[in-house]
Amino acid sequence: MENNFYLIGVGGQGVISLGQILADYALKKGERVKFFKEVGMAQRGGPAHSEVRMGEVFGSRIPPLSADLVVVMELAEGLKTLELVKPGGMVILNKKKIYPLDLMVHPEKYPKEAEIAYLFEEAGAKLFWIDAGEIANEVGLPLAENIVLLGVITYLASLDKEIILTVLKENIPYEVEKNMAAFDRGYKIAEENKAEKEKGEA
Amino acid sequence: MRKLLTGNEAVVEGIIEAGVEVVSGYPGTPSTEVILTLLPLVKELGIHIEWSVNEKVAAEIAAGAAWAGKRALTTMKMSGVNVAADSLASIAYSGCTGGLVIFVADDPGAHAGMPEQDSRYYAKSLVIPMLDLASQQECLDYVKLALEISEKIGGPIFLRSTTEVSHTASNIETGKKLKLEKKEAHFERNIVKYTKASSAWCMAQHQEALNRLALALKIADNYVTESGIKVNKTHFEPDSPYGVIYAGAVEGNFREALKIYQLKISWLKIGMVHPLPEERIKEFLAKVDRVLILEELDPIIEKEVFRLASPGDGEKKVKILGKLDHLLPLTGNYSFRQVKGALEVLLDTQLEVDPDPQLLQRAKELEVKRPTSFCVGCPHRGTYFALNQAIKNLKYKKGEIIITGDIGCTILGMNQPFESCWTEVAMGASIGIAQGFKWAGIKKPVVATIGDSTFFHAGIPPLINAVYQQVPLTVIILDNGWTAMTGFEENPGTIPLKEVSRTRVDIAEVCRGCGVKKVNTIDPYRPEEAIKAIMESLEYPEVSVIVSRRECALQAKRREIRLPQRKVDIEKCTGCRICLNTLACPAMVFHPKEENNKPYMEITADCFGCGLCAFTCPTGAIEVIKDGE
Repeated sequence: MENNFYLIGVGGQGVISLGQILADYALKKGERVKFFKEVGMAQRGGPAHSEVRMGEVFGSRIPPLSADLVVVMELAEGLKTLELVKPGGMVILNKKKIYPLDLMVHPEKYPKEAEIAYLFEEAGAKLFWIDAGEIANEVGLPLAENIVLLGVITYLASLDKEIILTVLKENIPYEVEKNMAAFDRGYKIAEENKAEKEKGEA
Repeated sequence: MRKLLTGNEAVVEGIIEAGVEVVSGYPGTPSTEVILTLLPLVKELGIHIEWSVNEKVAAEIAAGAAWAGKRALTTMKMSGVNVAADSLASIAYSGCTGGLVIFVADDPGAHAGMPEQDSRYYAKSLVIPMLDLASQQECLDYVKLALEISEKIGGPIFLRSTTEVSHTASNIETGKKLKLEKKEAHFERNIVKYTKASSAWCMAQHQEALNRLALALKIADNYVTESGIKVNKTHFEPDSPYGVIYAGAVEGNFREALKIYQLKISWLKIGMVHPLPEERIKEFLAKVDRVLILEELDPIIEKEVFRLASPGDGEKKVKILGKLDHLLPLTGNYSFRQVKGALEVLLDTQLEVDPDPQLLQRAKELEVKRPTSFCVGCPHRGTYFALNQAIKNLKYKKGEIIITGDIGCTILGMNQPFESCWTEVAMGASIGIAQGFKWAGIKKPVVATIGDSTFFHAGIPPLINAVYQQVPLTVIILDNGWTAMTGFEENPGTIPLKEVSRTRVDIAEVCRGCGVKKVNTIDPYRPEEAIKAIMESLEYPEVSVIVSRRECALQAKRREIRLPQRKVDIEKCTGCRICLNTLACPAMVFHPKEENNKPYMEITADCFGCGLCAFTCPTGAIEVIKDGE
């Protein structure tokens, strides 16, 4: 079974460390893995992305229409992933908007949520919206935005929760309680969302 | 044991397993992580590892060690080979006794900026064999192989990586540490081999280097590594008239395509790209009718295939596809889609529908551009701010004063809002190019800006030249104490860390020693004094140097240096955005006017406390946060 994760955001959001956790998870599961990280000018406000490919894969980059799960940590950055989403694949859209200088003055120029959603839906993706930044603030660790998303990913991609939590603790050995809380919140929201949807469909 | 390692980390594993005793290099994306990963292990390994002042020096150090019989490796990015090439050419002629590996990481796609140049040409021109890495496992295996080949042939060898191979992690099968016989360092005097002052000796050395090439191919062509990788490998698919010849990082996408579309075609993988396995290529061509060459950057293999495929009387003609027929580009790294597209032409069939182009077009239009700027607290922000102010105070218009930029973080002064730097060429070149502008007859002041590491690397000779030729020039050395852009490596100007023994070299003293009469040191966090000093320098009739000294804020923060942070008094702030527009500090957030609120600025908790914003504020709305607030 092949499983392709594409994670994208802006430098400082934890896109690379999130990818590292997923890659370490795959290693622990004994799966073949390719983990590509874009190490560019992210530190200086630029875009950042990482790709984790599990299973019988060869290339380090996810081919078009092959991403099973896309995690958009900064909303507008998600636009770069449209060609990668597998029809029927899942896209997690974090509501975080990070404005570069000119958009700070003209926030109205930032792409609308509805239009981004429309494009992904046209591409055949299933969408999952979340405000991970707010939840991370609520648990008292704003930096844990990526860990909230890790909770969501773990549920949506049916990853082995125990192994993910072990890897999480190994990778981030500090603020363990708060990180666990962030993870749990993300995991539960994804779980409840699914339950609600099923109720709606029933 | 299986480990998750990037290509560069796998090179490190190879270095350790192969018992390399001297490792030298200069930072450069995508090669940097080799030494960056190795350096913290220096005590544990008991070997010598260093960031040298530039790639030429690094190569010389590795060669010296290999001449004394030790295993040595030097690392650099492709631009670094240009710097090291002068020495490498001679080293290759002389050969070596210990194993000598030159690890070079190319950057097809220019992810880190700089020319995409294909370092495989260097293998040819310097007469050095070259292995081309296609996977992370090879990064480990080929370090060992390269050292083995180097010692067997008695000459240096290139190990070439590319961004995609170096920066991807995958599960690696690590091997055993080789048990090498402990050798004392020993160098035998042999001027026929190690000097160049005789044409007969040089030509004899050249011939020996050529002989070594042939020997290297003989060893590599049928070599199988510990983990089972065949360096050069031919796969014949019975009954298929189609073939692919490839080398390097394209392997991932090619094999991915074979898997996805279940293609049955013959292929030839080339792991040693110099010299090429001509016999193997000829055998391959004999069995296919159409062949696609997959190699990134220049059509080096493709041209050789054309030569080898030229049919004799009555021989069949093979159709060759690649770059020379414009099927594939000469620039960039190949995406999966490009590889797939080329395979479609080879097989004359459509493999799969592409994503909806209209959708992609719309998404592209909506994308948010993120111009890179200086980090929070970056001292360079203060330097460029002061430089722009000094130019303005001297009544020059913006855009009248040529400012040559250089490699590293300092070049970000080209971006908004500073828009200072006009050019970027190569390490140290800002100072040389600036002199050319003066001799061409530019009357107004010309300024060169350069970072500390870049100055040590190649900025000193052009500065000496400016002194000797009496060129009026302002050289601003932005000394943040670190080789920051590539990941905060040390350089001769770095404040020595507790755990290492180093002698710090003072840049201002170096400049005085070079004969510069006017050398001023400024603090970019003190704009008033900085502006004054730069104004003086711009009006000085000879070459003058400003050393703008303040530690990289990210490193200072890591070393727990804390400065008083700033906050905005919302009552006083008029929302004029002068601070934001002149400094573009990432710790600033502008809140536009809303129904019940006037517009105002916010300074977030990311503030490092450089204090420049307070200097720019016309209403005095930015104040220091006092303890306990």
